[in-house]
Amino acid sequence: MSDGPLIVQSDKTLLLEVDHPRADECRKAIAPFAELERAPEHVHTYRVTPLALWNARAAGHDAEQVVDALIGFSRYPVPHALLVDVAETMARYGRLRLEKHPVHGLVLTSTDRAVLEEVLRSKKIQPLVGERFGADIVAVHPSERGNIKQTLLKLGWPAEDMAGYVDGEHHPIDLREDGWSLRPYQKEAADAFWHGGSGVVVLPCGAGKTIVGAAAMAHARATTLILVTNTVSAHQWKQELIRRTSLTEDEIGEYTGTKKEIRPVTIATYQVMTTRRQGTYRHLELFDARDWGLVVYDEVHLLPAPIFRMTADLQARRRIGLTATLVREDGREGDVFSLIGPKRYDTPWKEMENQGYIAPAECVEVRVTLSDDERLAYAMAESDERYRFCSTTPAKTRVTEALVRRHANEQVLVIGQYIDQLDELGEHLNAPVIKGETKVKERERLFQAFRDKEIRVLVVSKVANFSIDLPEAAVAIQVSGTFGSRQEEAQRLGRVLRPKADGGGARFYSVVSRDTVDQEFAAHRQRFLAEQGYAYHIIDADDVGEEDPAR
Amino acid sequence: MERMTGTDFNEWLRGRSDERLRALVATRPELVTPVPAHIDGLAARACSPSAIGRALDRLDRFSLAVLETLALRPGPADREALLSLLRRAVPGDLGDAALGSALDAALDVLTTRALVYGTDDALLPAPGVAEALEPPAALGPPAAEVFRHHSPERLDVLLRDIDPAYEGGGRTDDGRPARERLAALLAEPATVARLVGEVSPQARTALNELVWGPASGRLPNARREVDAANAQSPIEQLLARGLLGATGEETVALPREVALVLRDGRVHRDLSPGPPALEGSVRDQDLADRTAAGQAFTFVRTVEELCELWSVDPPGVLRAGGLAIRDLRRTAQLLDLPEWAAGLVVEVAHAAGLVAAGEGEWLPTGAYDGWRIKATEDRWAVLADAWAAMERAPGLIGERDDRDRPLNALHPDLRRPGAAQTRRRTLAVLEPAPPGLAPTPESVLARLAWEQPRRRPALRDRLVRFALREAEHIGVTGLGVPSSHGRAVARGDGTAAGLLGPLLPEPVDHVLLQADLTAVAPGPLTTDLGRRLALMADVESKGGATVYRFSEQSVRRALDAGHSADDLLTVLERHSATPVPQPLSYLVTDVARRHGRIRVGTASAYIRCDDPALLDEVLADKRAHLLRLRRLAPTVLASKTSRAALVDSLRAMGYAPVAESLEGDVVVARADARRTEGQLAARVTANTAPDPEVVAAAVRAMRAGDSRRRPVEAPEGQVPRSPATATISALQEAIRQGSRVWIGYLDSQGHATSRILEPARMEGGYLTAYDETRATVHRFALHRITGIAEIGR
Repeated sequence: MSDGPLIVQSDKTLLLEVDHPRADECRKAIAPFAELERAPEHVHTYRVTPLALWNARAAGHDAEQVVDALIGFSRYPVPHALLVDVAETMARYGRLRLEKHPVHGLVLTSTDRAVLEEVLRSKKIQPLVGERFGADIVAVHPSERGNIKQTLLKLGWPAEDMAGYVDGEHHPIDLREDGWSLRPYQKEAADAFWHGGSGVVVLPCGAGKTIVGAAAMAHARATTLILVTNTVSAHQWKQELIRRTSLTEDEIGEYTGTKKEIRPVTIATYQVMTTRRQGTYRHLELFDARDWGLVVYDEVHLLPAPIFRMTADLQARRRIGLTATLVREDGREGDVFSLIGPKRYDTPWKEMENQGYIAPAECVEVRVTLSDDERLAYAMAESDERYRFCSTTPAKTRVTEALVRRHANEQVLVIGQYIDQLDELGEHLNAPVIKGETKVKERERLFQAFRDKEIRVLVVSKVANFSIDLPEAAVAIQVSGTFGSRQEEAQRLGRVLRPKADGGGARFYSVVSRDTVDQEFAAHRQRFLAEQGYAYHIIDADDVGEEDPAR
Repeated sequence: MERMTGTDFNEWLRGRSDERLRALVATRPELVTPVPAHIDGLAARACSPSAIGRALDRLDRFSLAVLETLALRPGPADREALLSLLRRAVPGDLGDAALGSALDAALDVLTTRALVYGTDDALLPAPGVAEALEPPAALGPPAAEVFRHHSPERLDVLLRDIDPAYEGGGRTDDGRPARERLAALLAEPATVARLVGEVSPQARTALNELVWGPASGRLPNARREVDAANAQSPIEQLLARGLLGATGEETVALPREVALVLRDGRVHRDLSPGPPALEGSVRDQDLADRTAAGQAFTFVRTVEELCELWSVDPPGVLRAGGLAIRDLRRTAQLLDLPEWAAGLVVEVAHAAGLVAAGEGEWLPTGAYDGWRIKATEDRWAVLADAWAAMERAPGLIGERDDRDRPLNALHPDLRRPGAAQTRRRTLAVLEPAPPGLAPTPESVLARLAWEQPRRRPALRDRLVRFALREAEHIGVTGLGVPSSHGRAVARGDGTAAGLLGPLLPEPVDHVLLQADLTAVAPGPLTTDLGRRLALMADVESKGGATVYRFSEQSVRRALDAGHSADDLLTVLERHSATPVPQPLSYLVTDVARRHGRIRVGTASAYIRCDDPALLDEVLADKRAHLLRLRRLAPTVLASKTSRAALVDSLRAMGYAPVAESLEGDVVVARADARRTEGQLAARVTANTAPDPEVVAAAVRAMRAGDSRRRPVEAPEGQVPRSPATATISALQEAIRQGSRVWIGYLDSQGHATSRILEPARMEGGYLTAYDETRATVHRFALHRITGIAEIGR
């Protein structure tokens, strides 16, 4: 019996014992072909998926390496069926290729005629291909490059894309590392993206994804289109780029609700891109406005459907997606991978925390109990009203006040879903409220005041879920959320993960009503973070007054 | 049939030592069922076509080639002549000594089996062998046979073209008939060389294709009239010279003499004195053993999982027997296996007697409960042995039979004669494979073809491939390499479990608890801990390790089973290497807090009344004690009595109750974990060779018959009666000592007889013994032996 750190399960999950002396070595060996699924304290779970195996093939690994890694690190014998399956799955990659033919343009070619026949008989493939030039070669409409890749992936015959990328319009961009330098993982992530051509980089909130984007731009040295979630975020990107790169203010344009500038580097919001007038997306032409050499998708897990469709047409341009949490409640992770590109870099949150790149955080779930009257009203509420009812109970306001008092010396964010609840909280806490109707200028003023510690407590709605850079926030109190959204929970925790000037830790409170759907949703919301190793302490509302409620 | 050499063979056989005769009977057991009366009888049976056919089927390719070479020689041959013939057939530079010893070994086999007889300087095939070999070495029929049906006119034309000395008119110079002359000519190398030289190169190519067989081909209008002058096509050129002859309206054949000349004096080519080596990639034997052990572990667990599934939710038995395709699919899905593998699991579980048909459903048997508590390695050995001996072909499940009906798992039609034998022979090929070699299916097939070239049971190639695939799935092989425990199964020496045991992962008694409410057991858990964890958490992933997830439902399940929150936390603390994470302990206490606030009980009927005073009255009535009433609320009584009985009793007490329609009835779950006492699946015994005692007894009987030994008279009087246990122990003693006994026996008509026996073997309620009073070997039913006594020699 060998004593490896890895246990291979018959359902294709790999369990890695992290305290094992060979754990690091093993992690490096299996990372290319297995997705990290869960990373709690003792045993990390990876999953071997067809997509991951094909990505490994695309990155130049072969089945033998995969099998060797599995057998070499496994504590127990590896199920034979799994090894056979790995070999068979990997052998499916590359039978079909998308190539640039000198005469016919973009073509689909095959080394295995039977496979080509099989896919050409598919009804989904037929509209995407053109003339058949020979037994093993068929034309593909250039605009369908993304679609055909996506469809072939679904059919289980992923095409190797050999058609390359357009260089785009050249534009000099350099990183200006004065007084700061690229962190090792940021460099690795940018390099991994560049060698892969296109893809997604997954880094925890606060780990500096913007800088990875800037580093990618410095690799491409071409005109760049950056898509971000909202205007505030667009401003932050612009400032960050000016600070970190050789780009000047004149070279960066904003394409938002108010400004429509197109410059060598243009930052646009998803919202403006998906604005429809008379049934057409008027701003999607921005994609063709310049010969972009690189498209950056910030918070790629939020990518809206129309952008998906446009992205399918952009397969000849390099694309990088940035996100902290590639979990979509709509299950479209697969589309992100096939249209933007495979995951190029991923690292467990706790790992970053150990290395000091993000602040250590403690998560606490505070359970409040509904009063008897409330319980009766809750039991009689319509099912679609129940969540709102129990998550906005006045008991939560009282607990929030107590928590704010407890952290009297720290910068506190109170985050919620329902505007009246937030207004009420703002009143009780005597704190400003930022919500959807708050003007961009006002928002930025309040955020700046918070950063400068002029304001100690800020109440925010979901507009502040993403991309808002608030380094000094050390405590977040969540009173309600978008039902069971795992990525929202992670993003909200992300608001307090920026390393603190004093090196201190962060606190994340989630206030939950006991024995209601709120509690069920909370359990679901916490799953992603729990799997990343963030253990939620659960305390009762009555214990909040104590010296250290988390203990 | 006329047998010229019959008496020679009989005398040779009679001259063999008892030991050689025993060896003959042991290798050809069909010769003594029933035992012949004397040696002549044995000889006659040994020369019968069917017996020879069976003996030939057991020969390997080299021994068969030696026999064919011998049979093709016109008269007796000596060893040297055979050696020189074989030398040409064996390619490469194998030394004379090596070939000689291979020849001696083959001759020993052939004489032992009485297929060849005579002395070393005059060896002959046994009577009947040459006929049974027909056609030997893929040769065509002899010329005399080929040209038998040619008219004299045809022969006349032929001889004119090929015999310079022929005078025409059917007469030959030496006065022999034309057909004989033709055959003699075709046996002359010079003549054949001359004739072959005359034909076109295309004709020569066609001829070469027939030389090494098959020696005949199809040709429309084969009996056409051709002569050398007007022959057109290459085939016609050959026909005109007698190098080919028409054997039917549409078939032509190469005469044997011509083929032998063209084979350049060789009978065989590329003959190998030893079996072909197994080929395949080489891996680390230890790694293969571990992989196979892992697969063995998985297989045992899968069978257990199957039985547990079927305990609770058994599939039905089809009217024609077997398991419906739909049920197999569902089982495959639940076991997370491809269908063929699920079919194998089901079939092996059945062959091992763990599941059987009972009450129209497939259910685990009582034997399963015994099997389940054994150690994993012992459980595996049971399954592997059952598989090896299984006379069925699970690989065919899902295919269609000759009448286009689907072949279902567990259906009687899945029986394939030869399946067990083919599987055993495949295992026998794998067993001695060099360490680490993963033999390719092709090389295994080649080896089997060499070992028994004449025997090709239907589907053999497929059955062999099935066997190899199944061996891998069961864990007899790992990475294609025969594992050490798998080799033990092939040997059948009962050491498999002992070899497998140390390779299996050791049970662990701790788990890793994590804050995301999962627990990881880094190996198979001890039974007790495994059962407790399975109760309080749901299994999320299986394999070398098991991942459990705690949830409200799973914790509640454990509480429902009577555990308290403290019990659960104590178990977790004791078996966790790290402290119990706070979220987990909170979950357990939180669920416990709410557990049991609502109480549910069973009641068969209730009494409802708006007036509490009336209910007081009912409760106070003495006659109501038998109704076991319980007051749940001021206006409600619950009762364990049925509604009808309650109504009747209340009426008898003078009330006027009305029955209410039932709502919220207690649903009684049907009993789970059912069992059947199904029949054990029939097993083929692995060892088909007869017992040495039986062989010895048979030889003794034949010798007795041969020497006209009179049956011995049994002593006068009745054998004293003895109890059955004494009879059996006396017989065992006699078998052990080889001594004679005197018994009283009731024959099949019920007459008391008296016999003197040499007991040989006792098995299954029968005694096999040489009966001196009848001078024959007989099987005696033990229960009809009335008594036993010793008798002096």
